[in-house]
Amino acid sequence: MKKIGDFFESVVLIVIMVALAHTFLEDFSILVGWTVAARRWIIWAGLLIDIIFTIEFFTRVYFALMRGKLAEYFFSERGWIDFVASVPLLLFNSLPSVLALLAGAGLLTGLGSFLNVLKVIKAVRIARILRLLRVVKLFRRIRYARSPLAQRHIAIITTISVTVLVAWVLVANLLGGLGILAGLERPFLGSQGEHARYLGQGSADSAAVAARARTLAAFDPTLLVARPTGGATGWTRYDDSYYATNFLAGDYEFFSVNGVESFFDGRPVSRATAKEGIVFFVAILLSVLAYILLYSPRFALDITDPIHVMKRGMEESGYNLEVKIPQRRAEEDVFELARLYNSIFLPLKDRGSAQQEQATRLGIDDIRSFVDKE
Amino acid sequence: MKKMDVRDDPIPRFISRMFETPALRTLPAIQKEEQALQFLKQNGPQLQPILASMGIATGAGWQGIVERLAREIKSLSDGILDREILRAVEERLHFAFYPALDANRQSPSVSREEIVALCRRSASHPVSRRALSGSLSAVLADVTDKYIPLIWERRKYTYVEITKVQRLSLNAQECADLLRFALLVRPAAYLHVMPEVQSGPEAGFAPVQEQALQRAFQGVAARLPATPPSLVRMALRSALPYPSTQGLEAIPRLAAIFALRGRALTPSLVVDRGADSPDKSWFNIARRNASWRSLDVRMLEELYSIASENGW
Repeated sequence: MKKIGDFFESVVLIVIMVALAHTFLEDFSILVGWTVAARRWIIWAGLLIDIIFTIEFFTRVYFALMRGKLAEYFFSERGWIDFVASVPLLLFNSLPSVLALLAGAGLLTGLGSFLNVLKVIKAVRIARILRLLRVVKLFRRIRYARSPLAQRHIAIITTISVTVLVAWVLVANLLGGLGILAGLERPFLGSQGEHARYLGQGSADSAAVAARARTLAAFDPTLLVARPTGGATGWTRYDDSYYATNFLAGDYEFFSVNGVESFFDGRPVSRATAKEGIVFFVAILLSVLAYILLYSPRFALDITDPIHVMKRGMEESGYNLEVKIPQRRAEEDVFELARLYNSIFLPLKDRGSAQQEQATRLGIDDIRSFVDKE
Repeated sequence: MKKMDVRDDPIPRFISRMFETPALRTLPAIQKEEQALQFLKQNGPQLQPILASMGIATGAGWQGIVERLAREIKSLSDGILDREILRAVEERLHFAFYPALDANRQSPSVSREEIVALCRRSASHPVSRRALSGSLSAVLADVTDKYIPLIWERRKYTYVEITKVQRLSLNAQECADLLRFALLVRPAAYLHVMPEVQSGPEAGFAPVQEQALQRAFQGVAARLPATPPSLVRMALRSALPYPSTQGLEAIPRLAAIFALRGRALTPSLVVDRGADSPDKSWFNIARRNASWRSLDVRMLEELYSIASENGW
């Protein structure tokens, strides 16, 4: 059973690493302008990853329920991270993205307003970075962080800092999506909004809209489509097949003013957002790595290593090494304790060991191991 | 009738395998023996089915089996101990101090054989056998070669005590060799100590009384006729307490420290991250317990300082 559990954990860790690479590639593909075909694969992969994490979350919930420890799993074992990084992402990010993908060019004919909803709810995708926290489980394999105290401590501070950052960015994105908190895209969208309002001025019949759109298109290269609401396309810069091969749902900016719907090229905004996303992702990744690679050895040297030495000295009769106390840190709590251990406990232990036989270092398992080989 | 091969006898095979387990493999003979006997004492009930599975009949009476096992442990460790004694005397002891201490006389060739015989005699007595464990470990681990050159370089307390107070005109190598000699002769100081008087872990390391040492001296000197009695006396005096013994010389004081250090040496000890080095830790604890152990605290402080500076 333990082997199955270990295998399961290893698979999950691999999926986490793949998911992190996917998170990066999703923004990177937009930033460098990968083909729509490649980006479609990335969207499908996102759905698959979110499904895997959702299944994994419910599996863990199931086993926690069987053990009667659901609350412990959710709160103490950080099941809430498993939840936030799976179910909402599936429902509000990857699934709508795939639905939009499946709608394809039809989006331009009937699902325009869905695009804006998509942009708002996509803010939740930032929560994917929380998966990075699960990499903290890899601590066990890092030389300096074998002690449970070190693992737990690093996990706590990493969780706090990453969660606070992600939560704030999530809220900021949601507010931005709702137009409450302006983002970098505001000036860009502002001008497209003005142009949409221009298209909405005057008659909403197809010919009049097309005429205004032609005038506007001459100096706004981002205008793609203008049409009366529910009517046939008044004006379009490209034919449907071009949109199908060069645009994904998230690449449009959609406006509806006075019965006139207009679609603008949103890729410049997407690129700016993707750049922000990558910067944020790398910042979080670097912080987590810094905690693991820089802070964790520091923590081990200052806290867990001295404790480990003292623990061995108290447990093993023949282990009498002193704790190394750095001179300039001698006043810190742990080293104060270590000083007492060195100066009082060990000398007393030395005297005590003179009175009683030392425990043998040979264990019954040592004997069993060679007897089994015979 | 075909003679039984010793490898077919399960008891020697069991003990020899036990000595080769990672926990005991690197230990010196006497420590191996002590650990194995202790193990038998602590794990008897759990051991019975294992022994039965090896074909050692345990039904006849556990006490009888324990006695056979203990005899076999002793016999096997005797063999290893003998090799350790030969290695210590033949490879480490050079008698380089003789010309300086005994009017340019070279050590007689029989001295080496006499020392080997004395060590074997010490190995046969329960208390001095324990004392021998510390001495052999210290000699074989070259503890004296490690510290004496640095003591000579520093020219501080220990150096002054040896060269000025005790008035020994020795160089560092000669002094290290003299200490090796003292360490190997020292266990004989316990030959007349009854096991009832000194038992437990401190047997062979607790100080003896000066009158008792006087009695031991006669016998030991008789066993080392080729060695000047003053040298034998000096070596045996390392079993006396300090500072309560009037005029106890520097060499016996230092030999007592090294013998105790030898007892605590753990071969292949892995120093954990965050722990101090073994010698530094040991000397620091020893200097805190110096008066309790009747050792020279100033020597311990100097040795601690050397260990600390050199990361030992």
